[in-house]
Amino acid sequence: MDDRIVKSITRLVIPFIQLYGIFIILHGHITPGGGFSGGTLIGTSLILYTLVFGLLPSKKKFSHRMSQIAESGGIVIYVGIGLIGLFLSGQFLTNLDAGFPIGEPGELFSAGMIPLLMITIGIKVASTMVSLFHLLIEGDLDADHPGIR
Amino acid sequence: MQIIQAFVDHINFIGAVALFLIGLHTVVTKKNLIKRIMGLNIMGTSIFLFLVAIGNVTGGVPPILQQDPNVNYINPIPSVLILTGIVVVVSMTVYSLSLTIKIYEMYGTINQDELTHLIREEEIHD
Amino acid sequence: MINQLPIINMLIFLATALIIPLLSKRTFKITLIFGFIMLLCVVTSSFFLIFHIAEHGAILYQFGGHDSKIGIEFKVDLMAAIIGLFVVGLTTIIYIYSCGDETEGVEQKEYGRYYILLFIILFAILGIIYTNDLFNAYVFMEIISITTCSIISIKRKKETYAASFRYVMLNEIGSLSYLFGVALIYMVTGYTNIDWVSQSIQSIWQLYSINIIIALGFMIVGIGIKAAIFPFHIWLPDAHASAPSSSSAILSSIIVKVYIVVLIKLLFKVFKLDILNHFHVSTILVIVAATGMIMGSIFAIAQKDIKRMLGYSSISQIGYIVMGIAMFSSLGLASAMFHIISHGLMKAALFLSVGIVIYKKKIKKKNDFEGLAYEMPITMSVFTIAALGMIGIPLTSGFMSKLTLGMASLDHRQGYLIIIVVLSGLLNVIYYLPIIISSFLKSEPNTYHPFKIEKVPWPMLTSVILLGIGILTFGIFPNLIMNMITQAAELFGLI
Repeated sequence: MDDRIVKSITRLVIPFIQLYGIFIILHGHITPGGGFSGGTLIGTSLILYTLVFGLLPSKKKFSHRMSQIAESGGIVIYVGIGLIGLFLSGQFLTNLDAGFPIGEPGELFSAGMIPLLMITIGIKVASTMVSLFHLLIEGDLDADHPGIR
Repeated sequence: MQIIQAFVDHINFIGAVALFLIGLHTVVTKKNLIKRIMGLNIMGTSIFLFLVAIGNVTGGVPPILQQDPNVNYINPIPSVLILTGIVVVVSMTVYSLSLTIKIYEMYGTINQDELTHLIREEEIHD
Repeated sequence: MINQLPIINMLIFLATALIIPLLSKRTFKITLIFGFIMLLCVVTSSFFLIFHIAEHGAILYQFGGHDSKIGIEFKVDLMAAIIGLFVVGLTTIIYIYSCGDETEGVEQKEYGRYYILLFIILFAILGIIYTNDLFNAYVFMEIISITTCSIISIKRKKETYAASFRYVMLNEIGSLSYLFGVALIYMVTGYTNIDWVSQSIQSIWQLYSINIIIALGFMIVGIGIKAAIFPFHIWLPDAHASAPSSSSAILSSIIVKVYIVVLIKLLFKVFKLDILNHFHVSTILVIVAATGMIMGSIFAIAQKDIKRMLGYSSISQIGYIVMGIAMFSSLGLASAMFHIISHGLMKAALFLSVGIVIYKKKIKKKNDFEGLAYEMPITMSVFTIAALGMIGIPLTSGFMSKLTLGMASLDHRQGYLIIIVVLSGLLNVIYYLPIIISSFLKSEPNTYHPFKIEKVPWPMLTSVILLGIGILTFGIFPNLIMNMITQAAELFGLI
C-alpha cells in the first residue's frame, strides 16, 4: 500500500508484536500459550509486514532458504533433545530423570526441558505460517491485485 | 419444567452438538467450496467446545499455580487435547485452501455444480 | 536396548524425511539408495521385534517416564509387530518399483517431494499401529490423511485437484467423527489410554449406556469412512483414477488396512465382548460387510477405466476383512489378518502391473488389453496370478484366506455367510476373467512376425516378480505366517 501513515505505524508496531510473541513462547510452562500461540503471533507480524510493504521486500527478509533451515532445524533440535533422554535414562523425551534442572515452580528457569521445546516449536510454527502465506499469495502477483507487488 | 431445567444445566453440551450438526449440514449441502471448508472448521470448533465443557468445574479457577492451597482448579487435560486439535484443524484448513486456489486457476469456478459439469465434459472429450 | 526398537524405527523414518531435502543438490540416485538402505534397516529391526515379542510378550513404552494414566504409551504386541513388518516390507517393494517409474506424471525436479511424503506416511503408520492411546491415534490419523492426499495429487493435472478436494472433505468428516467419539469416552471415564478406558468401561457401562452407544457409533462411522467400508466408500475409486500407480498401490494396499487395525483395537480392546453383544454390533457389521462384498463387485463390473475397477474391487475385498472381524471369534480374526496381508500383496501386484502397462502402452480402458501377453509376458502373468488369487483359485493366497473365512463362519453356526462368500467370488470372475483371456488371445491368427517383447525398466519388473512369488508362496505354504497370526489372534481373548 502506498499510504504513509500505515507504513510508519506498522514500522513502529511490529517490534512490539514480536516481543509479545517471544514473551508468550518463553513463558510456556508458567502461563497459558506456549509454542503454538507464540509462533502464530510472530508469524502474524511477518504477514503484516508482507501486506503493508509488498511481497518482494518480504521475500528478501525471509527467503525460502531460511524457511527450509528453520523448519528442518526445529524438528532436528526437538528430536535431539528427546534423544538425550533416550541415552541418559531410558525413555524418549524424559524430562526430570534425564537430569534437566527443575528449579522452583513458577519461576522462569524451571521445568526442565519444556522451555527449550517451546522455542523450537515457536520457530517452526512462525516459519510455516510465513512460507505458506507467501506461497498462497504468489499466484495473485501479476493479474488481479496490483496492490501487492 | 424439569425439561427446561435440564436444558439450562447442560446448555454447553447441547450447544456443542448443535454446532457439530450445523457444520455437518454446511459441508454436505452447500455448493461453494469455501463454505464447505468453513463448515469443517465449525465442526472442529464444536468438538473443542465439548471438551472444554467436560473439564469445567463449578467455581474453579484457571489451572495456573497459586499460593492459596484451598482453591479448585479446573481440569487441565482437555486444554492440552484442544491445543493439539487446533493445530491439526488449522493445517487441514490451509491444505484445503491451497487446493481451492489451484482449482480456481484450472477451472475458473469454485461452485461444485459447475465443476462437476466441466469435469464431465472433459471426460466425454477423452 | 530392544525395548527402544519401536521408537528407533519411527525416528529413522523421520530422519530420512528430513535429510532428503539436503541431498537435493547431488544426483538423484544417492537419494534413492539412501532411502532404500533405511527401509532395509527398519525391515530387519521389525523381524527382530517379531521374534522378541513372540517369546517375551508385549513391549510397553511410556514416553518421558510419565505414568500411563496421564502420559502417552506405546504397546507393541504381536499383531502390531506383524502388521508393522507387512507394511514396511510391502513399501520396500513398491519403493523399488517407483525407482524405475520415470515419466508417469511426476516431473523431474519434484522427485524429492514424493519420497519425503512417503517417509512421513511410514512414520505416521508405525505410530498409529504401535500406540495405546486414543487421542494419539487421532493425531497420527490426521498426518496420514493429509500426506496421503498430497501423494495422490502429486501429478499437476486438472482432474487430480477436484478428486483430492472430495477426498479431503470426506476424510476430515471421518476424523472429526472419531474425535467426537474420543471426547465422549473421555467424558465417561476420564482417561484416554486404552487399558485404563477398558477397565473403567467394563464396570460402569450400565449407567452410561447412552454415552457409550453414541461414542461407539461415531467411532465406527469415522473409521468406516477412512477404511472405505461399504456405505462410506465413495472417495476410493475417484482417488485411484487419477493417481500415479505407486501411490494407488500404497493407498489401496496399506493405508486402508491400517485403519482396519485401529478398528480391531477399538472393538476388542476398548469395548470388549459384553458391550458389543448387548448392542448387537456383530449383526450390524455382518450386514454391512455382506452388502459391501456384493455391491462392490457389482459396481466393478460396470466400470470401463481399469483403475476404477480395481478400486471397486478393493471395496469388496475390504468387505471380506470386515466380515472376518464381525464374527467375533479368534478364527475369524485370524482370517481377517491373513486376508489383510494377502490382499495387500495381490492388490499391489495388480496395480503395479497395470502401472507397467500404462507406462509402456498408455492405455487405460479395460477393453484395450487385447493381445498384450505376447508383448509383455512377465507383467501379464503376474497380473493373471494376482487376479486368480482375487477370485480364489487354489495355490494362491486368496484361496487360503477364503477357506479360513469359510471355516470361521461354519464354526459359529452362521453358515449362510458361505453363500455370500461364494457368490462374491463368482462376481469377481465376471470382471477379471475377460481381461486375462483377451490378453492371451490375439484376433489375427495368421500373422508371423515375431512379437517384440517390450523392454521394461528392471526395477519395475523385479518388484512385480517379487510380489508374484510372494502370492504363490503364501498360497502353497500358508503356515509360514498362519501360526503366528493365530497366536496373535488368541491374545485378544475371544473364543
